Amino acid sequence: MKRVLQLHESERLIAFAQRALGKLLIWVAVAVLLTPFKHTEAVLPAVILTTLFPARRRALLSLAGLYVLADMVLRRDDGQAWSAVLGTLIGAAAVLALISFLLFRVARSFERLPAPVRRHPLLWLHLAFWCLAAALWRTPEGTVAWRLQLLVFGLLPFLIWRASFLLLSGQRGKVAGTCFRDHLFYLWPAFGGTDVPIGKGFDYLTRHEAQTGAELGRSQLAGLKLLVLACLWFVSLEAMGGVVHGVSDDGLRRALGGFSLHVPHIERLLRGEVSASVPMAWLALYVELVRVCLSLAVTGHVVVGSLRLLGFNVFRNTYKPLLAESIVDFWNRFYYYFKELLVELWFYPTYLSTFRKHPRLRTGAAVFAAAFVGNMYYHVLRDRDLVARADLDTLLRLHAPRAFYCLLLATGVFLSMLRQQSLRGAPREAPPSGFVRLRRMAGVWTFFALIHVWAVTIPGSGLADRFDFLLFLLGMGEAGVQP
Amino acid sequence: MSRDAHKADLIRFLRTIQRLDAPALEDGALDEHTSLVDSGLIDSLAVIQIVSYLEEAHGIDFRTAGLDPENLRTVAGILDLIQLRRAG
Repeated sequence: MKRVLQLHESERLIAFAQRALGKLLIWVAVAVLLTPFKHTEAVLPAVILTTLFPARRRALLSLAGLYVLADMVLRRDDGQAWSAVLGTLIGAAAVLALISFLLFRVARSFERLPAPVRRHPLLWLHLAFWCLAAALWRTPEGTVAWRLQLLVFGLLPFLIWRASFLLLSGQRGKVAGTCFRDHLFYLWPAFGGTDVPIGKGFDYLTRHEAQTGAELGRSQLAGLKLLVLACLWFVSLEAMGGVVHGVSDDGLRRALGGFSLHVPHIERLLRGEVSASVPMAWLALYVELVRVCLSLAVTGHVVVGSLRLLGFNVFRNTYKPLLAESIVDFWNRFYYYFKELLVELWFYPTYLSTFRKHPRLRTGAAVFAAAFVGNMYYHVLRDRDLVARADLDTLLRLHAPRAFYCLLLATGVFLSMLRQQSLRGAPREAPPSGFVRLRRMAGVWTFFALIHVWAVTIPGSGLADRFDFLLFLLGMGEAGVQP
Repeated sequence: MSRDAHKADLIRFLRTIQRLDAPALEDGALDEHTSLVDSGLIDSLAVIQIVSYLEEAHGIDFRTAGLDPENLRTVAGILDLIQLRRAG
């Protein structure tokens, strides 16, 4: 089994992947494996072209990225024809190109920036963003400028985290000697992703970029493996929808004669749309955790798989989180690149500049800056339309439950980190038994399944509704769901 | 202080933060270019303990130059950083 899972490391297979037939088979496999996934049409042409012209990899990816940007704009405008949104598209591309170019110049001239900016580059970046936002908020509604504003707000949350990594590269002296076009391939990535920059930025991607045919072969095989896993988890999710939730009629459910456990979705329970017994509500919590992990794994595997096929052999986004034995380990495995965003852009800057004489306080401040403040800030910024309209009232109401989720998460991660730190370097003990490991995993599952109750964004369902649901789970209330 | 002396001191420190399930770290047994995290010697969170060690033992201030965790992945990377900052 292990040999099958490590097939992408086989030297013979890597040698075959470099031959003409090997390359052709990889392209065919990519075409087949990407079929179930939306918005991946740019990937196959990009894989073919970058395999044929590896020296032009970044330039080709930049062009493919422009296509992806245009596609994003079209999707945002409800699938209108290219001609109908051409003006907006050109306007948005011009504004964003200008912003990106200015950021690149700032990163390249990092050493010449004023000391306060060099010391806190990310703080200044976000300050600049909010100054721009304040200026745009004054635009009258219904005008062309207003339409452009909505678009810029729509795209900036996507750009700002990539720009943050660009500034960090500048701080580390990695941008000096590069030109603007070297950075386009990850600012608008053809390989996809959410607002979270999967693959981080210039430093990380270039460090993992294939330099030889063998490295490209290894990377592409590893990419195919992730696409296979993505398909597997995609099919599993479809099966869950039928056999576990009873909301779809997939092949497995049909084979089982229409059998379903009819476990309700947490969102429907929180909305009070369905009723459930207390044990069924607990089961729904755990099932939701599994479903979220699988969904995230599918998305991450498609993006990281594509990145690997394009020659960037980076770490996968989700790595067996359900086998984690501590909260902090789960957090590390669940959504790696979001965790990295929070760690590199929030945790480290706070850790390096606060409470240097008080180790626990220092760690605590950094964890809360990342898991609470950074996490909240990221999700608020993601609500593009509300931010564009400066609708603070709705933003606060909508995100109140998430604030509590982030507080619980930060507390859990902090305590787990302290525990892990206290265990390091201690005298070696016998490995824990299978039972102990299972008990730890169950604890981690329960923690994350429970706090997820506050992570779900449901308009109209506030903090109090989530606490009612918790009481119901503990057998002390009704919470809109009647046993 | 020579690179070897820095290395010996670093290995002593790494022993205090290594994972419970990792084999005991012997002098000279660790390749300088082996990834400390990928080899299972330390976990990724132990990186912040390496930061504290470098601040306290070598007076390195990461606030201006920034922290690139990739530089702290190997013994060689950490030793290079110590030498670079001492030379600077």
